[in-house]
Amino acid sequence: MMDNKDSIGSAIQGAPEELPSIFRYIQSNEVPGFDTTPSPHGYPAASKGAEPTNFRTGSVFAMPAPNSPTHRIRVPYYSHSVSISMPPSPSLLAEKAQRASGINQPATNSANIKPNLVINSPVVNLQVPKQAKFHSQPMTTGTSRAKGTPDRKGLDSSGSQQRLPRNTRLKDHRYNSFKTWSGALERQISALRGKAPEPQEVGGSKRQPEPVPAPDRYFDALEGPELDTLRASEELVLPEDKLWPFLLRFPISSFGICLGVSSQAILWKTLARSPSMSFLHVSPVINLVLWCISLALTGIVAFIYSLKIIFYFEAVRREYYHPIRVNFFFAPWINCLFLTLGLPPVVAVNLHGALWYVLMAPILFLELKIYGQWMSGGQRRLSKVANPSNHLSIVGNFVGALLGASMGLKEGPIFFFAVGLAHYSVLFVTLYQRLPTNETLPKELHPVFFLFVAAPSVASMAWANISGEFGYGSRIAYFIALFLYFSLAVRINFFRGFRFSLAWWAYTFPMTSASIATVTYSAEVENFFTRSLSLALPGISTLTVIALLGSTIIHAFVLNDLFPNDISIAISNRRPKGTKRRGHMRNAAADSKDNEATRIRNASSDIKENGAAV
Amino acid sequence: MEEREQQLPITTNSSTPRQTPTTGLNIVATSKVLAWLSNLTRFHAGYFRISLSLCGQALLWKTLSEPTTDAHALRPVIHTLPSAAFFFLWSLALFSLVALCLLYAVRCLFRFESIKAELSHHVGMNYLFAPWISWLLLLESTPFLHPKTASYLVLWWVFSVPIFVLDVKIYGQWFTKGRKLLSMAANPTSQISVIGNLVGARAAARMGWRESALCMFSLGMAHYLVLFVTLYQRFVGSNSLPAMLRPVFFLFFAAPGMASLAWDSISGTFDNASKMLFFLSLFLFASLVSRPALFRRSMRRFNVAWWAYSFPLTVLALAATEYAQEVKGFISDALMLVLSVLSALVTLALLVFTFLKTRDLLPHDDPFAPSSSMSTAFVMPTLQT
Repeated sequence: MMDNKDSIGSAIQGAPEELPSIFRYIQSNEVPGFDTTPSPHGYPAASKGAEPTNFRTGSVFAMPAPNSPTHRIRVPYYSHSVSISMPPSPSLLAEKAQRASGINQPATNSANIKPNLVINSPVVNLQVPKQAKFHSQPMTTGTSRAKGTPDRKGLDSSGSQQRLPRNTRLKDHRYNSFKTWSGALERQISALRGKAPEPQEVGGSKRQPEPVPAPDRYFDALEGPELDTLRASEELVLPEDKLWPFLLRFPISSFGICLGVSSQAILWKTLARSPSMSFLHVSPVINLVLWCISLALTGIVAFIYSLKIIFYFEAVRREYYHPIRVNFFFAPWINCLFLTLGLPPVVAVNLHGALWYVLMAPILFLELKIYGQWMSGGQRRLSKVANPSNHLSIVGNFVGALLGASMGLKEGPIFFFAVGLAHYSVLFVTLYQRLPTNETLPKELHPVFFLFVAAPSVASMAWANISGEFGYGSRIAYFIALFLYFSLAVRINFFRGFRFSLAWWAYTFPMTSASIATVTYSAEVENFFTRSLSLALPGISTLTVIALLGSTIIHAFVLNDLFPNDISIAISNRRPKGTKRRGHMRNAAADSKDNEATRIRNASSDIKENGAAV
Repeated sequence: MEEREQQLPITTNSSTPRQTPTTGLNIVATSKVLAWLSNLTRFHAGYFRISLSLCGQALLWKTLSEPTTDAHALRPVIHTLPSAAFFFLWSLALFSLVALCLLYAVRCLFRFESIKAELSHHVGMNYLFAPWISWLLLLESTPFLHPKTASYLVLWWVFSVPIFVLDVKIYGQWFTKGRKLLSMAANPTSQISVIGNLVGARAAARMGWRESALCMFSLGMAHYLVLFVTLYQRFVGSNSLPAMLRPVFFLFFAAPGMASLAWDSISGTFDNASKMLFFLSLFLFASLVSRPALFRRSMRRFNVAWWAYSFPLTVLALAATEYAQEVKGFISDALMLVLSVLSALVTLALLVFTFLKTRDLLPHDDPFAPSSSMSTAFVMPTLQT
């Protein structure tokens, strides 16, 4: 029953309605009428003072003085559980709440965190946000989460506590909404491993993960050619100033590195084997080395990302709904195709046809899903979400056709070629139109534009393999690719001023595939022009890859920002109100009055629920 | 509506001062006839889906029973189907087509304004192709008429000229008329116009008239390209289909399937282009079939839109048959068998539903009737279709 009282108390003092995700923690002993057992240490205000900063995501509020009674404190930092008694009447409670809310105005505003991020506080807001539903937090033991700072440890009465540094524990709680099943999986795994189970709140497992933002939200909240820059008015659900767990920072676009390197392997294999390039005497060892490196890279990246899927599935879901990142979900499978294409002869020569079907199955399923969304999905209509990264979803078809044809299959490659061609024409027209409703196309040039070159160059090689010769169809596709390449290359001046990102590796493979197509073409049509092209283009692509490699190394080891906080996945579900900061103090009081009734109603209904449960 | 129709004769009758019993009976009879007639004339062009499906089925059965160059394990199974069944199906298709044409002719006589409204509606105008497509399909599947005969030629001309005329009207509208932008008016039923051209092309190729076949084929394909891109883009604000009409999404894979058949007839063999069109059709079919939620709302009540499921499946089965003839193998034969059986079953199920729930199928009111009280019908006139 005490839990219910806690719930009511917190509900009454809940945040004003205008901040749907507001969470308010009230120091119970700040609100008159509430019983608290004073902590033996008093409560060290100084240590608590640091806490609210971690809640705030970009708020410009001055930190309330640590010793002021107004700052919010996590009750768990008390060593004891707090018994909170209900005031005699709701009106009294409301009165107190109003006073309390009036006091706590400055601090409440800043916590734009979804309620289910803070699961450890026993004083939990029952106010149900519009979208996320969660149940109130019964307190299993008062000190369930009071794994406080080491100096508090001795005061714990529950006994099965673990020593964790405070900021780690903070990270746990806040990132829980991104974890698989809100962290339940982690608990399972640690339980399996024999660790003493952390006394978790029971409510945690009932909590549903936060709903993924609709595609419109991604466009509203983010900007930039890769939709990875937060707009000024937006806020994140995760803290901006702390470095997130590595897995949360590892985007799917990291598979771009594998794409870049494995396409280089294919290039050097082609250079070594092409009859027209035999004057270069390229050694096949280069292909072998590159192939092994790309195999290793693929393994590492795939391993890390599968860890992310296991532990942070919500984050993966959010990446899937991101309009640009969804296309990178094709990257692992395209990479497998590249690895098979670039297979050095010393490793294997004749591959079984069944392998091709196995490799193409994931691409087929992804395609059915994503192209179907273009055609009939509600929000993700192509006129709205078309962007150059969509080429990644198309190019997989052509790469598969190329591989299948080179393996000797006939019908399957034609199938994927047809599907890819039809959807490529749609995408090509849409991107060329640069519809006004299309918000994702960058106004300035960005390396992502190089993806335009990918599809026609791979298509030309695929058709050459399917029809057995570099015929008219292949040549038409090749010339289109060449034209696009040149029209981007002469505008090289405009590719400036962009922040380096790992996705840039993905944009090197179009250059490499154009080089491979050139080499293939020069084997068919030998003259000075083609020969010089087949020297220049591979050279450019190799240099670009080396430059990119250097840049990556610098960012990884010198600047240490190869994996910055992946803000694209942490956007909030609702647009924060514009008058949030300034007008909040004025509005909050009024709003709190308005919302008292609703909150009390909610609280009482929830208490009924919990009462039944208890 | 019925009551209103019936009241009209009665009010006029009440104006006459005195009625003898016999004239009264006559008037009641005429009013009844008029009411019955008005019911008849409510059949709009969407009902031609029925004839389209049946004629397509007849063509499929005819193609399946055609002797092929080599005997497959699956063909004997199909040969066991009695030819009487094919004759029955063909006559059923003929009967339904003739009946619907007559009904539509009556409608032309009595409700010309509705016809005009239908012609200018973004969904209704495409179904004006449907009768001619059905006639052409029936012509191709005629058991007693060989493609090289004169009567076949004459009939082809009779049925293709309206398609040409409608082409000029509708395609010309796409790029000339200011208000009716294609980006706004395009919807999946617009692919019926493309299918019309392709069916004409195939029939012409069978006759041996390669140039007209090529002409109609290029006409269809050029506009199909534009339409395909436009439909995939799905501009915000374009006229979205009401949920009841979701079955017409199946037309997405009917068009490339028909294109594959037409090119197969023109070029003589099922070459790479036909294969690519067939594969595209297969992919779109798989894509739609894996999204049952799309069709859930339209499946609540039986209505004539359900008939839109049958024809595209039949076209796909036909294309699979031609593909299996070219590429001999287990998978292609299995594909052909599965698709043919599926299309036959779907048509059969629709026939059963039609006979059981005829009341649901009959038009309750004319969605294209111009009347002041029905101004709302113009907003969502396709609800009943």
